[in-house]
Amino acid sequence: MSELRGKIAVVGIGEVPTGRYPDTGTIFHAIESAKQAIRDAGINKEEIDYVMPTAALYSPAFNTELVTCRVAEELGLKNVSKNCQVFAGGSSSTCGLELAGSLINSKAASTVLFVHADRLGTGVDLQAGIDLFATSGISAEWEVPFGQHYSAIAAMATTRYKYETGTTDEQLASVCVSNRKWAELNPNAFFRKPLTIDEVLSSKMLSTPLHAKMSNMLFDGGAAFIVTSAERARDITDKPVYLLGEGGTVTHFVYSQERDVSRFGWAKAGRKAFAEAGLTPKDIDIAEIYDSYPIFQIIGFEELGFCERGQAGEIFLRGDTWPGGKIPTTTNGGMLSQGHTGAGGAVALLVESFRQLMGKAGERQVPGARFAVETATGGTYMDAQVTILGTEIPS
Amino acid sequence: MDAPVKPKPVPVVNPWARPFWEGTKQGKLLYQKCKDCGTNVFYPRIACISCFSDNLEWVESSGKGTVYTYTVVKSNSPTAFLPDLPYVIAIVKLEEDGVQMLSNIVGCDPDEVRCDMPVEVTFEKLNDEFVLPKFKPFRS
Repeated sequence: MSELRGKIAVVGIGEVPTGRYPDTGTIFHAIESAKQAIRDAGINKEEIDYVMPTAALYSPAFNTELVTCRVAEELGLKNVSKNCQVFAGGSSSTCGLELAGSLINSKAASTVLFVHADRLGTGVDLQAGIDLFATSGISAEWEVPFGQHYSAIAAMATTRYKYETGTTDEQLASVCVSNRKWAELNPNAFFRKPLTIDEVLSSKMLSTPLHAKMSNMLFDGGAAFIVTSAERARDITDKPVYLLGEGGTVTHFVYSQERDVSRFGWAKAGRKAFAEAGLTPKDIDIAEIYDSYPIFQIIGFEELGFCERGQAGEIFLRGDTWPGGKIPTTTNGGMLSQGHTGAGGAVALLVESFRQLMGKAGERQVPGARFAVETATGGTYMDAQVTILGTEIPS
Repeated sequence: MDAPVKPKPVPVVNPWARPFWEGTKQGKLLYQKCKDCGTNVFYPRIACISCFSDNLEWVESSGKGTVYTYTVVKSNSPTAFLPDLPYVIAIVKLEEDGVQMLSNIVGCDPDEVRCDMPVEVTFEKLNDEFVLPKFKPFRS
């Protein structure tokens, strides 16, 4: 078990609205998010001694700027000792927080700026985006030659899950509706118009049983957060968000080698995170579950223990996960409604967890939220990462 | 529809997997078996995935298995596969314990494919260099 429980905290967040910005330099998404996070924390920018960008996928040249200290220089940060990229695909959020926390807890760093920016909406065209994602993280020897790509990957998980549980297409579509209800209240979300189950199920079929409106779409965006010690956090703010538990499982590289595509490693990762936090799913006020496609949100929700296997579809359908529901879930609208920005999909979810616990979520604020769980996964759902956060450290 | 067709991607072969691809050219579906602990290994590795021994041998699969899961790709495929729409991608679990692989289901109406459906291997020439193992419904 890690020694981080209650030792580190997040004190500031920033985010640019997810969208299409053909005329905006991509670095803006990084430095605007970082500026907001520094001002949100209310700290002097010179307190930041470690800059931790995660990777941008759309352009190796832009990613190299992130690696070669552009964020620190653009912001005029004078006390940065290291700028080091942390990248774990869609799990970069969770892995970044844990690494930042470890550096702080070991006194190798005192205040870490984690930042993400990418331009997958306007930096690549639609078909190029499909081709990019047909190959990144997909085995060039064992899967690419058979026409594998991300919609098919999600579709195959959905097929098996439906076969084993009897979950319906209507229930799957209700995940999209639930996320949209949150996005309607989120000014940083791209898709904010109400969505119905019929609209989802009448949208184009991609790969059976996956419809177009069950698929995330790629956009431009950026987000940032600032991590420091719990002790320092209490001096800075009366609303620090503490890291309480982390759990992870790496399950595969080649998707077709995964032994159970209707479960993955979430149960094991969840048990570890909850044990470390000293909490159970019943204690959780907000479940920020990684979506990208409805099936992964359903599987994550169930395997973490928020309901029995096969029950999530009904729970999303009847509104328990909606604003005002019993277990508010994926409250920024997720990648399905806020939009997918690459590694930023889960960074946005993590930032939303902090935002809700800080009480800064505006119209969609979950009243009195004390404990949140956030999940992340990268590649072809190669891992399961679970983070538990709180406004207090349970005794 | 006369747009130039993007060529199909060919397997990027790791040196230690070459016997597998030589096998498909001869109509054989090969996997590795650990001579020390008996574990079946697929895809090909440089050491046993259980006991980490280097003592791996190549053995031939029966080629029979079942569809673990599948999807019928109807649209928005990678460019090279647009001419093939609709096509079926599936994970097939072979009879040999632990051996499973991605492939295409051919030789039937895509909408007939089901989970746990019995299938058998069939070999399709991709080009002069490669033959891909695909699967068709097994009718005993």
